[in-house]
Amino acid sequence: MHLRKRLWHLVVLGLAGLALAAVAATAASSKPLASKASTIIDGTTDTVTNIDPAGNYDEGTSVVDLMIYQHLLGYPQGKKVPSPELATGCKANGADTVWTCTLKKGVKFSNGDPFTSADVKWSFDRVIKIKDPSGISGLLANLKSTTTNGPYSVSFHTKTPDATWPYILTTGAGLIVDHKIYPANKIVPDSNVSDLIGTGPYKLTKFSSGQQAVFSVNSNYSGPKPKNDGVIITYYSKSSTMKLALTQGSIDMAFRDFTATEYGALGKTKGITVYQGPGVSIRYLVFNVKRAPTNNLAVRQAIAYLMPRQDIATRIYHGEVQPLYSMVPKGLPGHEDSFATQYGDSPNPAKAKQVLSKAGVKTPIPLTIWWTPTHYGDSSADEYSEIQRALNSSGLFKVTLKSAEWATYVDTLGKQYTAYQLGWFPDYVDGEDYLLPFYLTGNFTSNAYSNPQMDSILKKEQGAKSTPERLGYIEQAQALAAKDVPIVPVWQGAMLAVGRSNIHGIQQTLDPTYIMRFWNLSKS
Amino acid sequence: MSQGSSLKQYALTRLGLVVPMVFVVLTIVFLLMRVAPGNPVDAALGGHAPQAEINRITKQLGYDKPLYVQYGKYLWDVVRLHLGSTISDRRSVSNIIEVNGAATLELTFFAMLVAIVVGVSVGLISGRFRDSPVDAGGRLFGILVYATPVFFLGLLAQLVFGVWLNWLPTSDQASPITQALLQTHTNILFVDAIIDGNWSALWDVTQHLILPATTLGIVYGGVFIRLIRVNVIRTLKEDYIEAARARGIGERNVVYRHAFRNALVPVVTVIGLQLALLLGGAVLTETTFNWPGLGHYLVLYIENRDYAAVQGITVVIALVIVAVSLLIDFVNAFIDPRVRY
Repeated sequence: MHLRKRLWHLVVLGLAGLALAAVAATAASSKPLASKASTIIDGTTDTVTNIDPAGNYDEGTSVVDLMIYQHLLGYPQGKKVPSPELATGCKANGADTVWTCTLKKGVKFSNGDPFTSADVKWSFDRVIKIKDPSGISGLLANLKSTTTNGPYSVSFHTKTPDATWPYILTTGAGLIVDHKIYPANKIVPDSNVSDLIGTGPYKLTKFSSGQQAVFSVNSNYSGPKPKNDGVIITYYSKSSTMKLALTQGSIDMAFRDFTATEYGALGKTKGITVYQGPGVSIRYLVFNVKRAPTNNLAVRQAIAYLMPRQDIATRIYHGEVQPLYSMVPKGLPGHEDSFATQYGDSPNPAKAKQVLSKAGVKTPIPLTIWWTPTHYGDSSADEYSEIQRALNSSGLFKVTLKSAEWATYVDTLGKQYTAYQLGWFPDYVDGEDYLLPFYLTGNFTSNAYSNPQMDSILKKEQGAKSTPERLGYIEQAQALAAKDVPIVPVWQGAMLAVGRSNIHGIQQTLDPTYIMRFWNLSKS
Repeated sequence: MSQGSSLKQYALTRLGLVVPMVFVVLTIVFLLMRVAPGNPVDAALGGHAPQAEINRITKQLGYDKPLYVQYGKYLWDVVRLHLGSTISDRRSVSNIIEVNGAATLELTFFAMLVAIVVGVSVGLISGRFRDSPVDAGGRLFGILVYATPVFFLGLLAQLVFGVWLNWLPTSDQASPITQALLQTHTNILFVDAIIDGNWSALWDVTQHLILPATTLGIVYGGVFIRLIRVNVIRTLKEDYIEAARARGIGERNVVYRHAFRNALVPVVTVIGLQLALLLGGAVLTETTFNWPGLGHYLVLYIENRDYAAVQGITVVIALVIVAVSLLIDFVNAFIDPRVRY
């Protein structure tokens, strides 16, 4: 009996030891599965809402949509202006109120259905009809109707002259779906993977919300064949977990988003490269122009003189962002460093003091600045501490920082806040999309800014007859924005992606259009 | 009153108490979500869309209606088991319960296994060798693991086994390729891999389970260590144990065949109570290991003020805990007639 029991104990111990050895041996000898296939595995902290283009208005879902669908006009690699994709070209009538696009022939959806003008009309009509709570239909606010002129021509009739209509075609509202599959009045749920049909380089083969999206190559794609066999996007809720997965090799690359510190650490990791390209996301400080003390122009101008952009870019973000001197980011046509022209490109306490003294404002001015820790990344705390330090050290301000999590923050900022953090990612890559949302009367920042002169400039910009004329209005708007200072631009972000050494082509796809062109990436 | 009717009355009374219990939970969750500033529309569109558009969509979704109207609709939907769909990612709440609930079930099942194995074995040895260095070590281990925050232990485990030793994966239910290729049957990947006969997938899933299940299980095993130890010590002092020793039964048999079995009885109750804590700990563990369970998603939906999702998930978790507590109470009442009304 004793011997049997001892034998049993030995067996158990032996099995446990074997199991441990198996774990270690497997870990030591096996390479991550990711490197064995030619399928690219990407990690992201983005989330996906509705894949159906009529039901989403967020960056995370647009990454998925661009794999499956196409626009009439898009941004091929290297192009910064709307270029032919499903259309060969689009032309406006003299009044810029009718845009007619000629469609490419011979294009098919991934299920074999032919692409025609009926699909275009259907796609735009349903976005407006469904009016999804995501707000995507707002991008088509100026669209009166869509008509077809035969199977390969379509006309867009706008309510008011719109010189930038081609840019609207490049947005998520302009993605084309199969009219035989997509209902006119409701969204195709994400669970109906087989119905999420497009003409893009990939088709979606599996989707687990919050976990992964699996893409295989679309054999009916009319463009150049993708350089890989497919893509798997894996979703993470925390960037630290994604960083671990990347260093372990569970994923091949990561696009959106790590903290500045994590990018720095990854850049020093063997076998991993951090790629950086021009970006178009911006961060800025908003002032409520009706609430004291920022209802005083002199106070706003003083803050503009003191903004420590360079310190924020180098010390907080380690060079991953660059100082921004206009709401229109550098690299876009019409950009002017209007804030540098008006207030200098580095903090100037003497000028700040002068403008306050001239206005008879007593100092130090007590000011509460709000920021949020849950929407713009972990570095926001340090960024706003730096702003506080710069303003307080001038002796002209006594800044108190306060924060609130995003849902509370966004609900309260228009009701209570005087100065607050916001960020912007464009709907389309044009200077107009960095002006209309911020400076028109009734703009979304809830800062109560209203200037009829600015409204007039922006209206003229929308109806401009030529590009030079339009760019002229964009420049005028930036100059006036610097003079009124309802908002102080702070920094412009780069487009960043991280890849292991077996992934190629990432650097070439990083451009101001902010599109990760997975179809141009290869894996060795 | 006969034993049978007494048990029946107890069961009916406990069942009857479930309804007001769940009603209170539903109401508290509803009020807490509405009291917090912000709503799903603000969270999704704030900072990007004009206020007029946000107001239009808020009205479209009914969030501008008086609180009592929203509450009435909410209760009516719950009664009809109409849990609705989330705002932030447009999933049906029942789909979340089905898919992500399965992931939580997988994690908590294996975590509970670890908790029982570790807790029982260490507790038994500590009780057997009372006041020895082995006992001291066991007790210290029990206190340490129970006092350690589960997310800290998880991060430590990731660092040691994932980064330094590179033995185990640090996140997710399975590798991306395995997840992409595995057929979905039950949404519990461990079971799905067995159903498919896909042994490499099963090994992959098991590797991914080890760190999160062990982390969560060890923390709650600390409770079992102390409980088993105390019960073993108490049972070893019983008269029938003395009688067994007097009859010449070996000490090993006395401990493992007599004392140990009786010491386990109260543990059944504690397992049920620990389940509630385990589900709470699962929230932190799932977030640390990117495990796609209910706890992980609950945190995301709370941040997004997704009323439907938070209400639905909380109701289901509350019902699960109530059901398990009921089951434990019935078992106890069946075993011990003193536990009755």
